[in-house]
Amino acid sequence: MDTFGLLAQGLLTALEPMNLLYALIGVTLGTAVGVLPGIGPALTVALLLPVTYKLDPAGSLIMFAGIYYGGMYGGSTTSILLNTPGESASIVTALEGNKMARAGRGGPALATAAIGSFVAGLIATIGLAFIAPTIVKMALSFGPAEYFALMILAFMTVSAAFGDSTLRGLTALFIGLGLGLIGIDLQTGQARLAFGIPDLLDGIEVTTLAVALFAIGEALSVAAGKSSSSTIQAVKGSVWMTREDWRRSWKPWLRGTAIGFPIGAMPAGGAEIGTFLSYSVEKQLAEKPEEFGHGAIEGVAGPEAANNASAAGTLVPLLTLGLPTTATAAIMLAGFQQFGLQPGPLLFATNPQLVWGLIASLLVANLMLLVLNLPLIGVWIKLLTIPTPWLYAGILTFATLGTIGANAAVSQVNVLGLFTLPVSFELGMLLAFGLLGYGLRRFGYPIAPVVVGLILGPMAEQQLRRALAISQGDLLILIGSPIAVILLLLAATAVLLPLYLRARGRGKVLAQLGASED
Amino acid sequence: MSQTDHQQAKRRPDRAALVIAAALAIVAVVIAWSTASHGVGANYARVGPTTFPYFIAAVFLGLSIWTAFEAFRGDFPEREHQEISPILWIVGGLVAQMLLLKVAGFAIATGLLFAATARAFGRGPLWQTIPIGLVLSFVIWIIFAKGLQLSLPAGPLEQLF
Amino acid sequence: MKQFVLASIIAGALALPAAAADYKIMAPAAPGGGWDQTARSMQTALQDEKISSSVQVNNVPGAGGTIGLAQFVNQANGDPTQLIVGGYVMVGAILTNASPVTLDQITPIARLTGEYEAIVVPAASDIKDMAGLVAKLKADPGAVSWGGGSAGGTDHIAAGLLAKAVGVDPTKINYIAFSGGGEALAAILGGQVTVGISGYGEFESQIKAGQLRIIGISSEAKVEAIDAPTFKESGVDVSIQNWRMVAAAPGLSADQKAAVLADVDKMVQSATWKKILADKGWANTYLAGDEFSAQLKKDTEATAAILKDIGLVK
Repeated sequence: MDTFGLLAQGLLTALEPMNLLYALIGVTLGTAVGVLPGIGPALTVALLLPVTYKLDPAGSLIMFAGIYYGGMYGGSTTSILLNTPGESASIVTALEGNKMARAGRGGPALATAAIGSFVAGLIATIGLAFIAPTIVKMALSFGPAEYFALMILAFMTVSAAFGDSTLRGLTALFIGLGLGLIGIDLQTGQARLAFGIPDLLDGIEVTTLAVALFAIGEALSVAAGKSSSSTIQAVKGSVWMTREDWRRSWKPWLRGTAIGFPIGAMPAGGAEIGTFLSYSVEKQLAEKPEEFGHGAIEGVAGPEAANNASAAGTLVPLLTLGLPTTATAAIMLAGFQQFGLQPGPLLFATNPQLVWGLIASLLVANLMLLVLNLPLIGVWIKLLTIPTPWLYAGILTFATLGTIGANAAVSQVNVLGLFTLPVSFELGMLLAFGLLGYGLRRFGYPIAPVVVGLILGPMAEQQLRRALAISQGDLLILIGSPIAVILLLLAATAVLLPLYLRARGRGKVLAQLGASED
Repeated sequence: MSQTDHQQAKRRPDRAALVIAAALAIVAVVIAWSTASHGVGANYARVGPTTFPYFIAAVFLGLSIWTAFEAFRGDFPEREHQEISPILWIVGGLVAQMLLLKVAGFAIATGLLFAATARAFGRGPLWQTIPIGLVLSFVIWIIFAKGLQLSLPAGPLEQLF
Repeated sequence: MKQFVLASIIAGALALPAAAADYKIMAPAAPGGGWDQTARSMQTALQDEKISSSVQVNNVPGAGGTIGLAQFVNQANGDPTQLIVGGYVMVGAILTNASPVTLDQITPIARLTGEYEAIVVPAASDIKDMAGLVAKLKADPGAVSWGGGSAGGTDHIAAGLLAKAVGVDPTKINYIAFSGGGEALAAILGGQVTVGISGYGEFESQIKAGQLRIIGISSEAKVEAIDAPTFKESGVDVSIQNWRMVAAAPGLSADQKAAVLADVDKMVQSATWKKILADKGWANTYLAGDEFSAQLKKDTEATAAILKDIGLVK
């Protein structure tokens, strides 16, 4: 049977009423767990995987796909509404999405996220079906030097979130980089900056830092500055996307997909990098760049599409090479294995029915997510009408719930020399970083660069050191391939162009100032 | 950075900013000191496990100086008046949750956090909000621990089920 | 909130009945690697054989498993439902990292399987066999980059032993650590590193598909199912077996330990487990209880000597 025939057959199976019901249940469960801050799609799928064991292979696959998409969408919802990213790939979404929600445009933000995710998931899944072998070849050509160049490009995107002060933006970034040093160094096995604390050997968990800085830091900040109004406007204008919103969203959806899909397919890419790059691209291309930082819809549409596209991209190396490149992919592997499916280079040849069944399931689950969530947007944004005290009390409850559920580690702590208590170290970190988040807000430091530094720093360091070890210390390897050179040139442009434009702009402003003071 | 005249009224140097500068310098020293106690491990790469820490420490030192400089120029943004007691309530709630979680279980510990947070935003009294928090947390516990098999610590209240 | 309530109703209807023998297995490695596969195979066997109704696997990767081990020692204390998968790599990593936690702090249950180290090159590589690799290594040890697991692990030790056996300074090998099987495999397939060294199972499907060429296997004697000469047959006097084990939490009572041991024993005797071993090409080197504890002690001492020899531990 040819590709189309197999896909059509898979779709027919997936569209049977019983299977649609499984998809619906999967999406609902996935969303319910996925909304917990700190619990991303990987953990959601892992937690809920046993539920699928009881079904027949087709039903199981389709519910599984539903859980996966639901888990991803759940993370975005809390990012937008509560400024509490559910997982590292939806951190960028919080930047613009929450600003939109506060300005009464939570509906359009959720809608552009949902529709963007759908569009990206659709295109990327079709991409998975038809161009996987090509994409995987490109992904494998990425070595440490190319990854390092990609990280440099991603670093440039941080400056897009710097806000109005380079000093404070850089400081925030380096706080993140400093935190990224903590833990055991992979290449030598040495513990760095762990100060003999075993809990620190694992390094700082990205989601813990993000939840603390965003959710707890903000709760502290809002509570302490009661007089100053950071009022939330629940709804202003339509709950739905206006014609203008559509016009501004569709290009970012497509660009986000184009960025996210290949990066997701790279064995060491990671969904976050796609979202960073997409955010930066949208800021550069926006008609109204001044809206960025104040709720620009492009800044939600692009990264959300990139996130979903990269999730489908992850399946490319998994299905074509048997390489599970993310935690989610590894858990999927466990899911496949229950049907005796052994992902690997020969999978498409030996098990076409199940592979196409999975692809069809992803398409259907993706559609189900949209069908389920668009009508629910009206319900979701009602969350914002909850009075502030209850709202923040609830946010803190859910923020800590996610952390407790994701990391059950405890250490014995001696209280005032009187008695010992089992205490969750991760909750202690949550509190410490929450206070850091408050301090950063108080003095006008941006939050996002801290998290970005923590994610990108260790990746960049490991890739650089791998590249230089392979070349035996020859720095030329860093510009040794066309891909690396192009990425580095892009990075340079991304830094220099705005500087140049700003310098020109500031010249004008200075001239005006001088004129008016005379 | 060309605001000069508008800032005359502001107190200079900005003392809080100087404290930040000092903190950044301390971070730089701690990173460098901790790194200096490591062995080297760079074989062929020349960039070893100490290179990045030293680089980051150096940048922190630079940022510290820059921050001090801006503190004297008064380049930091205006800050609004802050109330301390709400912060203490929230921090207290988080500490209580952290300490009680394993002993008293999820519902009691998180119920207290809920009530303390509501109190920070001016909603009370505690004898009303604590029960609300307890019930909410308990419902959450049932949904996520029983229904979805998330591992949440159980205390006396949860063990009734 | 409406959705939560809805979800809870559905979840309640679907939720499995809580069983006594639920297990959480920690795989102290990134997804896709050997320990991860072991943990997930245990998950399959325990569930399919109805020994446990619900088994969760979580991954805590890094530094030869010592990060996961530290976390396990911290969080699992006294909890008989938590298990950790580990192996020979951990023995070495504890030494090289001067880890604050050691295998003495957990409760060893059983050695489950053993796997041999394979050396592979991409299909397009000009290295055809062990002799070709040795010649390259002797000419310039730095020019041969080895892609494998974390520093001080079995892969690293095997590379060092090989270098030493052919008369190359083992401290001069150019070893590149990757945090998980998937990432290392991608680098090998993409030709980013000269050779790959890891457990045979991690390369098997790529070898069968002709994308990788195996040039040697670290077993004592030829393994039937593997079409490759042993290191010894190629004139390199090295053999090494990467065994994998399962251990339980610290602070268990004798009864709790016996219960876990009984479950594991049941699993190992099961048809599902035997089929998994056969499918994955893992040798059954089951050794349980006190015998295993004694063997573990012996291995720890032997490894310390090897690591010192090749300069990984001072």
